[in-house]
Amino acid sequence: MFYCIANAKLHQLIVTVIDDQNKPVPGASVSLEKHEMVPVAAPDGVYVFKELPPGDYRLHISMTGYKSFRKKITVTDHDISLPVTLHPDVHVFQEVVVQNHTIGQRKKEEQLNLEIVKSDFIQKNLGGSLMQSLERLPGVKTIGIGPGQSKPLIRGMGFNRVVVIDRGIKHEGQQWGADHGLEIDQFATEEVEIIKGAASFAYGSDAIAGAINVKSPALPAANTFGGDINLIGKTNNALYGTSLNIYGRTKKWFGTGRVTLQDYGDYRVPANRVYVYDYPVDLHNNYLRNTAGQEANLHFSTGYINKQFRSVFYISNTYSKSGFFANAHGLEPRNVDAAMHDRSSRDILMPYQEVNHFKLINRSHLRLNNHALELEAGYQNNFREEYNRYVNHGFMPAIYPGTMSIPIGLERAFNKNVYSLNIKDQLKLNRHELQFGINGEIQSNTINGWSFLVPSFDQKSFGAFIYDKIFLNNRTLLHGAVRYDHSHIHIHSYTDWFPSPLEQNGETSEIHIERAGDIKRSFNSVTGSIGINYNRAQIELKANAGKSYRVPIAKELGANGVNYHYFSYERGNASLNPEESYQLDVTAVLHKNKWRIQVSPFFNYFPNYIYLNPTAQHDYLYGAGNQVFEYTQSKVLRFGGELQVKYQARENLSAEILAEYLYAEQLSGNKRGYTLPFSPPPSALLNLTYGPVHTEPFHRTYFSVDYRITAAQNNIVPPEKKTAGYAVMNIQAGSRFNIQKQQVQLSLQLQNVFNTRYLNHTSFYRLIGLPEQGRNLVLSVKVPFNFLKNKQEI
Amino acid sequence: MKQVKILKTLCITIGIAALIAGCSKDKDAKDTEYPTIDVTASVAFPKQCSELTRGQKFTAKILVADNAELGSVSIDVHHNFDHHSHSTEVTECNMAAVKTPVKPFLLVKSIPIPAGNKSYTVSEQINVPSDIDPGDYHFMIRVTDKEGWQTMKGLSIKIK
Repeated sequence: MFYCIANAKLHQLIVTVIDDQNKPVPGASVSLEKHEMVPVAAPDGVYVFKELPPGDYRLHISMTGYKSFRKKITVTDHDISLPVTLHPDVHVFQEVVVQNHTIGQRKKEEQLNLEIVKSDFIQKNLGGSLMQSLERLPGVKTIGIGPGQSKPLIRGMGFNRVVVIDRGIKHEGQQWGADHGLEIDQFATEEVEIIKGAASFAYGSDAIAGAINVKSPALPAANTFGGDINLIGKTNNALYGTSLNIYGRTKKWFGTGRVTLQDYGDYRVPANRVYVYDYPVDLHNNYLRNTAGQEANLHFSTGYINKQFRSVFYISNTYSKSGFFANAHGLEPRNVDAAMHDRSSRDILMPYQEVNHFKLINRSHLRLNNHALELEAGYQNNFREEYNRYVNHGFMPAIYPGTMSIPIGLERAFNKNVYSLNIKDQLKLNRHELQFGINGEIQSNTINGWSFLVPSFDQKSFGAFIYDKIFLNNRTLLHGAVRYDHSHIHIHSYTDWFPSPLEQNGETSEIHIERAGDIKRSFNSVTGSIGINYNRAQIELKANAGKSYRVPIAKELGANGVNYHYFSYERGNASLNPEESYQLDVTAVLHKNKWRIQVSPFFNYFPNYIYLNPTAQHDYLYGAGNQVFEYTQSKVLRFGGELQVKYQARENLSAEILAEYLYAEQLSGNKRGYTLPFSPPPSALLNLTYGPVHTEPFHRTYFSVDYRITAAQNNIVPPEKKTAGYAVMNIQAGSRFNIQKQQVQLSLQLQNVFNTRYLNHTSFYRLIGLPEQGRNLVLSVKVPFNFLKNKQEI
Repeated sequence: MKQVKILKTLCITIGIAALIAGCSKDKDAKDTEYPTIDVTASVAFPKQCSELTRGQKFTAKILVADNAELGSVSIDVHHNFDHHSHSTEVTECNMAAVKTPVKPFLLVKSIPIPAGNKSYTVSEQINVPSDIDPGDYHFMIRVTDKEGWQTMKGLSIKIK
């Protein structure tokens, strides 16, 4: 041990925690009851209470997946060394053997800024979608159209700049769109890693601003057969839902199944009247007309597991149908039959969307000597349709022709098929932990509908990487990674189905406009990163410098149509270069006594950020009189960071501050001096949590208040609007208690306690002034059940 | 403790950096103002609920202004026989019954504004053909400034 005794009268208590297979257990919660002293964690499951005055103590050790341990300790006149063996808790639906790294350890060994949240966090902060449940984390925001549909925004960047990985495979939907969500079932999510910062070297193109990694759920423990049911209710949009999960495992074979159903009505905002542009819209009983929806998700998994080999198949299908706010499809104000819409707050009328996402994934792991081989193969189909009454925009005919093969209600449809393959080997060589592998992806994208926005395209991409983690000494880790990527995109041409009048030399002729040409582009890129971790008992430091990149998407290269959702004529640029980003990230953590302080500043430079620039021009022919928005590239500088301070005042009382700040500036081009769109304003979340202990039969009870203060955002760029500052309060409470040896989990949340009317700068609906959801009471109950009396039970 | 000092220094540095950044924003005041369209001025035409006549020409008078420099104007006339409504004005006009278009009037025109203008009046002669459907129409005006800020107005008009 490298600790010394500071005072002769005080003594050390050294606890070494191992499991029943003699493996060390780091990351356990080790405490002395009724004492505030926190042990210093050393490697290999060793925990040291450094300065203990003589006396009697009750040692308490708990760790997820293990039965907790209690023992009376008496400190007299010497140091005490205590080995403790933890025994697996067979009730827990978790494969503890596979998971050999705890959260704390993983963060310490990861060079990037990493946040890990578990299903507990999601239950406690349950939002309308997975991303909204994660929004409490500093640096994470969402962009979307209301409570059900949202996409991640990491440090102000989203869409194709954030990668979502689901069970090892990159999730491919319509990432570019703001008006539909991420097709991930939050109830099927047990653990999520959020990587803030450029991560292309690890996740390929698109991870230029970060990654959301939805991990595979833990496997059921051997010889179990059980499940759990989740019941969810929300008052704001009268949501009711359930998620039923069944699992079973013999020693080596297992299967799981889950079904999630949710049904919700129109959501309510604290406003009777809103202004869509300047067009006044009266709301019936505060309901945002036609924002009701439903969701039905199915998941199956089955696989084989032994000590060396594991292979799991995941099959899932998520389906959702949801309405768009009827008075504004996109940003376009519309007069609606209010009486028809207001008859029911649960019906879904036009305009609405249906999204279906099917996934088949195999993940296989093989351990051979010092190798750990991993293979992921996946197929996904994303099918999204937008239905709307035919509206003749621009030069479209006033009456929809009967000869059209596209159904009259189908405004647009996107059908995406993606095949993915990842192969990776992790090799341990002395102080090196070496990872190398390849990724490949083949995509085909087709479109349908009477409105045009993005052309059909095919895309192939291939990447290879090598990553070395060097355990220099027991305090210092070094990281180095290099990655090569190649991708090829083939955009298919598209011609309008209706004629437009072309005026030339005073004569008018009618032409069918070619919106997208046949474009083929190939891109190559080399990215890399170096990093360091330095960990001491009370201090963790990490720094990372790297280059990331992103290949331009079909919309950026080939768009040439009117986006009536924005009143914009969007013009792609087929000669765009891959976007590059240089980033420096630092994270410093200090644990001292009752304090935990984490600061994570970052600095980021893009030499050629791809940007949709609103120009001063209008275009009558291609743009049907709309403002021209063209894709250009400009130099962009960004910096900012997050601050997390936690003060554990007592064993049962803690206070926390989570704050974030972001600054972005375009250094060149038409919008030089302006920021980037959707830049979140500075905000701070203040939390107070009371978690009474020794409240049997209730466990892990909590009462928690979140008060989020958000500054005004006056730093804007066309076509944004300034957003005023606001403060919103949320209250969370929950507890667990046993019914027939099963731990029932109860969570309550009151969101927007004061029904505050505020605008969110990163909402798609911000431009038309739609306030955020009003007061909402969320109730969630999780009841586990067990079909087998476990024989190992003691 | 040395480690605490390091962290403190780091916090302070970040704080100062944030402050500097926060202040530097105000130094070079960027244009964040939207241009304006005056549809109620006495010379402006058409106005909300104006009536036009088929087979006749009229002069659209559009008054636009910006704090820095104007960009361009676009006008769009399309039917509102289905009452889909793009009007941005408070006053409601009397609408005819919903009907199916046969040959509705459609006009899309982009009008550039000479560089360097802070205010400008568009005078555009528009011919309303005699063979088009009479009824309710929308007269949409869009104006941009040089930086790309856009303002829209939607007027309900009638063609007789």
